[in-house]
Amino acid sequence: MSSGADRAPGGPAAGSGPAAGSGPALAIEELVAGYGGVTALDGVSISAGTAAITAVLGANGAGKTTLLRAVSGMVRPRRGRVLVDGTDLAGRNPEQMVRAGVAHVPEGQGVIAELTVEENLRIGMMSWPGGLRRTAGGTDGRGHSRAARAAALDEAYERFRPLADRRRKLASTLSGGERQMLVIARALLARPRVLLLDEPSLGLAPRIMTQVMDMVVKLSRENGLTIVLVEQNARSALAIADHGVVLNLGRVVASADARTLAADVALRHHYLGF
Amino acid sequence: MQTLPRRLGVAVIVAVIVVLASIKLDAFRDYQIAEIAVEVTAVAGLTLLTGLSGQISLGNGAFMAIGGYTAALLLMHLNWPFVAVLVLAAAVAAASGGVVGAAAARLRGPYLAGATLMLGVALPSLAYAYPGLLGGDQGLNVAFTTPGFLGATFPLTRWQAWVSAAVALITLVLLANLYYSRIGRNWRAVRDDEVAAALDGVNVAAARILAFVVSAACAGLAGALLAIVTGLVAPGAFTITLSIALLTAAAIGGLGSLPGALWGSLVIVLVPTYVTDVATSNGLSSSVGSNIPVAAYGVVLILVMLVFPQGIQGGLRRILALFTGPDPKTQKPVRPRTDKEGIS
Amino acid sequence: MVEFLQFTLSGIVFGMIYAAVALSLVLIWRGTRLLNYAQGGMAMFTTYVAIEVIHHTGSYWAGFAVALAAGVVLGAACQLTVIRPTMNKPPLNAVIVTIGLLTLLEGLAGIFYGGQYRSFPAAFSITGLKIGTTPLGVSRFDVFVAVAVLVTTLVLAAAFKYTNAGLRMRAAAFNTTIARLSGIRVARVLTVGWALAGLIGALAGVLVSPSTFLYPNSMDTIFVFGFTAAVIGGLDSPAGAVVGGLLLGVVLSYVAGYLGSKGSDLTSLVALAILVVVLMIRPGGLFSAARMRQV
Repeated sequence: MSSGADRAPGGPAAGSGPAAGSGPALAIEELVAGYGGVTALDGVSISAGTAAITAVLGANGAGKTTLLRAVSGMVRPRRGRVLVDGTDLAGRNPEQMVRAGVAHVPEGQGVIAELTVEENLRIGMMSWPGGLRRTAGGTDGRGHSRAARAAALDEAYERFRPLADRRRKLASTLSGGERQMLVIARALLARPRVLLLDEPSLGLAPRIMTQVMDMVVKLSRENGLTIVLVEQNARSALAIADHGVVLNLGRVVASADARTLAADVALRHHYLGF
Repeated sequence: MQTLPRRLGVAVIVAVIVVLASIKLDAFRDYQIAEIAVEVTAVAGLTLLTGLSGQISLGNGAFMAIGGYTAALLLMHLNWPFVAVLVLAAAVAAASGGVVGAAAARLRGPYLAGATLMLGVALPSLAYAYPGLLGGDQGLNVAFTTPGFLGATFPLTRWQAWVSAAVALITLVLLANLYYSRIGRNWRAVRDDEVAAALDGVNVAAARILAFVVSAACAGLAGALLAIVTGLVAPGAFTITLSIALLTAAAIGGLGSLPGALWGSLVIVLVPTYVTDVATSNGLSSSVGSNIPVAAYGVVLILVMLVFPQGIQGGLRRILALFTGPDPKTQKPVRPRTDKEGIS
Repeated sequence: MVEFLQFTLSGIVFGMIYAAVALSLVLIWRGTRLLNYAQGGMAMFTTYVAIEVIHHTGSYWAGFAVALAAGVVLGAACQLTVIRPTMNKPPLNAVIVTIGLLTLLEGLAGIFYGGQYRSFPAAFSITGLKIGTTPLGVSRFDVFVAVAVLVTTLVLAAAFKYTNAGLRMRAAAFNTTIARLSGIRVARVLTVGWALAGLIGALAGVLVSPSTFLYPNSMDTIFVFGFTAAVIGGLDSPAGAVVGGLLLGVVLSYVAGYLGSKGSDLTSLVALAILVVVLMIRPGGLFSAARMRQV
């Protein structure tokens, strides 16, 4: 196992900007992946601009979820490269990818319902190196001591107030929007460089969906997170994205900046349904 | 074995082979043939129960005990012809299988395993509780002789081998018919997805209970055969070790596969004997020598399961597929995963 | 009345042993969805190790400590070598592998230590305790047994609830995918679970062997009753393991006590009856959730 995947995530939590001049934070090259006899991704290449929001769109079965899974390590790619800050990490398992700075928020049930809100959040910090050692803070002011973890939790509660109110409650008692908040808060606690969001607005009321989308925008603008956003709701995704990629049957059929894509009526009708 | 004539043909060929072998081989080997046949009869029923209908049973030894004791009591008190005894023993065991299946109809996985394990442990202890009727620790003796028409010099062990093998082959043919029938398909449907099967109109509870009935009947038949072959029924012959050995044989041979029942039975009968032979011929001290087969048997179980996850029959199929190309029968239908994360 | 007290107390002591075995089974089940049929065999083996240490050093507590350590090592070793390869295969494969492991351990014990029954020392006096002149039916050692299991259970429960390691184990058990995506090394967690289960099993082994003597098959019956206790309580519930164990221990004590020798023959039938009654009312055990979790 090379050391690349195990180095501490150099996350943007302390406000440091995106690494300059090192290429995109996440670049996917000719990725081929599938399940059993089915090939769901057939040579996909995507470049996710650093500190930008890249929307991945397409109909059901186009390969969007498989793409995220192949990047985060839940599915082992058959061919291709996944470059995180220039290092190829394709084929690493999820535990390693998180430590490399790639956090994946999967579609659907993202909270562990049997645990409390606070416990769900603490799980987000499980990828921090150092475990329970009471070491002094590191050079970025973020040591891995108990105090640092507590500080990180406080920061999360500060940003996501509703979670603070329910911290001792079981996650199963949260509403849909609150669960999504919890899931994103947990992913952020891993201090990722890249955040993969799979249909974060699924099943949410329109008003909540807007809040979630606003949150996503903030994460990219204020924290410099590189975000890959998979969404069925192409309209709202393109409204907040910088760049858009359209998948169909496992291939990239369009890749352009979001405004151009949104304006391309024929493309929208054909692949995106609006 | 998709058609009845083919199955019967294969059965006849095997029967001929067994007859010839039993004539050539000595009494001990004949006894082993009978032993293997007994195991095959019981394991075949169990492999259908667990492999086809998806219900684990760690207590089929109890049904063997029921069959064995029924046979012993019938022969002792009523002196019926042995074929009638075998049939009735199977029927009694089948009825008890129905009771157990009904009681266990709502149990799944480890809960079913726990209940059947306890059944396998508890039932033989009835013999201790009712020593008058059931013979207690010593058990009941079973008298079985060769029929007159074979002549006075016909070895008993050979006759026992013939009877057992015949019963095993008939059982296998009948079970093969079940396997390919609607009943077999219902079992598979219930195993794979109960809810879908129910929506399809399958009576899930009835299918599950029927599976227990069939496997108990086979086990009861095997138990009666065991009584005839060993001449004795006692609690010590039907311990939980027997139940576990049956399940082991089914899994090693290939769960749900009738040929697998044969492979598994061969393993559990021949491997311990072989290893014991090797140990004693090397003159190892008795405590070491008698335990090496035990340890070796454990190693065999582990290795076979790790190397052949689909059992021996599955392994044979894979080896065969290397030569002949993939077998369409064994290709699972490919569908993308639809777990909690959904599919896109 | 005195008899009732005696039977109850000794039932509680044996019940705690069953609870310990049940607890180790629940630990492994919750973490890995596997039933470890070799649990009793592993406990037997570590108890043999203990007795060798006791004979060579003359110290009971050295043997006790080594047994627990051996339990940890054995549990982890088994999971790493033979259990891990079965993880994504049909569940019955793991069943057979653990049965093979059990057989292997029993054979090895016979080879290394011989098959004869060996006596195992008790940590404390085994003479019956009395209140005034009334014998209680239990000894100082029996009290130690009950307390040891109780303390272990409470420590484990606290560790699960309040430590990061415990949180990792719970997360990995409830939702392996999310656990992995959060960076929890689930493979490691599983090994720790087996190591803990090995520890608890080893404890049960040294606690019960003074009563049952030690021989390669000595833990078989204890395992069966411990398994039954776990099933009665519900395999996902550590509390259920303890309740199931106590229930079984106490009821069987009454049966053997009041019915004499006939009762001893009937213990497994009574256990079966209890099991059937409980499972008919709640097919998932007493403490199973009303809504069955999708496995």
